[in-house]
Amino acid sequence: MSSKTGERVVFAVLGVPMLICMFIFSWILTLLLTGIGTVRWELLTVTVLRGGMFEMIVGTIYLLLGAVAVAGPIGILAAIYLVEYAPSGRLTRVIDQAINNLAGVPSIVIGLFGYTFFCRHLGLGVSLVAGWLTLALMVLPIVIRGSEEALRMVPASFKEAALALGATRWKAISSITLPAAAPGVVTSVILGIARVAGETAAILFTSCVLTARGLPKTPLEPVMALSYHLFVQIVALGTPAQRVFGVALVLFMTVVSLSLLAIILRIRYRRRQPWLR
Amino acid sequence: MIGEAKIDIRNLNVWFRDNHVLKDISFQIRENAVTAIMGPSGCGKTTLIRAINRMNDLIYGCRTSGEVYIDGYNIYDRNVNVYELRRKVGMVFQKPNPFPKSIYENVAFGPKIHKMANGRELDEVVERSLREAALWDEVKDRLHDSAFNLSGGQQQRLCIARALAVKPEIILMDEPCSSLDPAATAKIEALIRKLGKRYTVIVVTHNLQQAARISDFTAFLYMGRLIEYGDTKSVFENPQSELTEKYITGKFG
Repeated sequence: MSSKTGERVVFAVLGVPMLICMFIFSWILTLLLTGIGTVRWELLTVTVLRGGMFEMIVGTIYLLLGAVAVAGPIGILAAIYLVEYAPSGRLTRVIDQAINNLAGVPSIVIGLFGYTFFCRHLGLGVSLVAGWLTLALMVLPIVIRGSEEALRMVPASFKEAALALGATRWKAISSITLPAAAPGVVTSVILGIARVAGETAAILFTSCVLTARGLPKTPLEPVMALSYHLFVQIVALGTPAQRVFGVALVLFMTVVSLSLLAIILRIRYRRRQPWLR
Repeated sequence: MIGEAKIDIRNLNVWFRDNHVLKDISFQIRENAVTAIMGPSGCGKTTLIRAINRMNDLIYGCRTSGEVYIDGYNIYDRNVNVYELRRKVGMVFQKPNPFPKSIYENVAFGPKIHKMANGRELDEVVERSLREAALWDEVKDRLHDSAFNLSGGQQQRLCIARALAVKPEIILMDEPCSSLDPAATAKIEALIRKLGKRYTVIVVTHNLQQAARISDFTAFLYMGRLIEYGDTKSVFENPQSELTEKYITGKFG
């Protein structure tokens, strides 16, 4: 077999997954293009009680913002600790592995944990706050890993210069390393949100209802969410998929635009960080 | 004028884990003079100057014994404030390492963290430091530009200005010209000569001509030991040790 034939075989083998991706992508695109015309955009601001999706959209935003408010600071601080302070030892390795495992836990398991621990054990019931905490568990490993990477990319020479000027370790980290890593940290937070924006299993038992009277007034009340609405309509109520297409589309666009935002931010900031080039 | 001993190093030993990097170093460094520390790669030059501002402390597995007296106080004493020590003993690194901030912010960082100045006063400190580092005229119209827009030589002078801004008494320079072209090197060398009149400057270099050009005193380090130390002229023209003679005549190193 000549090397040329070998080359062709490899090329063909590598091409297959590419074709599969393109097939899936074009299928989604067809669905989008055919469906986009049937969606009534005015429903975005109409209450659920009149067949709209206002509360679902706002409810989803509530869930995401709360999850980030919990997981963001904890994740960033954990990343700073792991990169800058943690001694390299057994405990650190255990923590490191635990974070990897947390990232790998199926969302349905996280949802069940959230239900038994936050809703039942802590007595939060099916509520917005239980949803925040449960989703935060999913956001956390993404924020930690992403922020860790961003912090490690900052040249050690920056911190060294600050320390040589007589800065304390925390001062050097907080005013030099962290601002330099900020774009990467922000990107990781957005990716974290994108990861749970379409999440259903984690909020299934912990914080959602199909219909409620308006938006939750306190964090102890349940919410409506786009993903949950889709799930119940199709699986439990057997509603034809075409009738909930609008909800699916809004959800899809939310997730895609969040990921896109993360990518754009990363590209924009990379230009301002010559040490990454 | 060249003054009294500013730094008195006595029986200094440094280990990195099992690696004995500095062996029983003792010598005195004069005030308001330029002292060059030369020697082949890996002889402990950098470790020696980093012992003077205790930057070695930050390296995991580093152990130090012996004493380093600055103005008569042992900086390895238990109750020494290392942050104040590092304010007093500035450092310039091998590769220019400005912060990813504006030119102004780079110089203002030190005075800010030590709460030495703010407002107009801070502006004055920044200007004075940049003038002292012979950079002011080149950057006065773009103080708020990113420091990364400067050339390598300008970045290194910015790092010198940044160190000067906290009013140090001693300035440690770790091969400050090794990443620069000859023109930028000449500027930094002239600057070092000038700074040597007002500060106690210690320059690590593996460039013999540079040591001869810029320093008043020269120490020769080899494999962690201080082989020779004296005024630069006599070290180069009349070395006492055979090793030094071999080194300066290019037989090894």
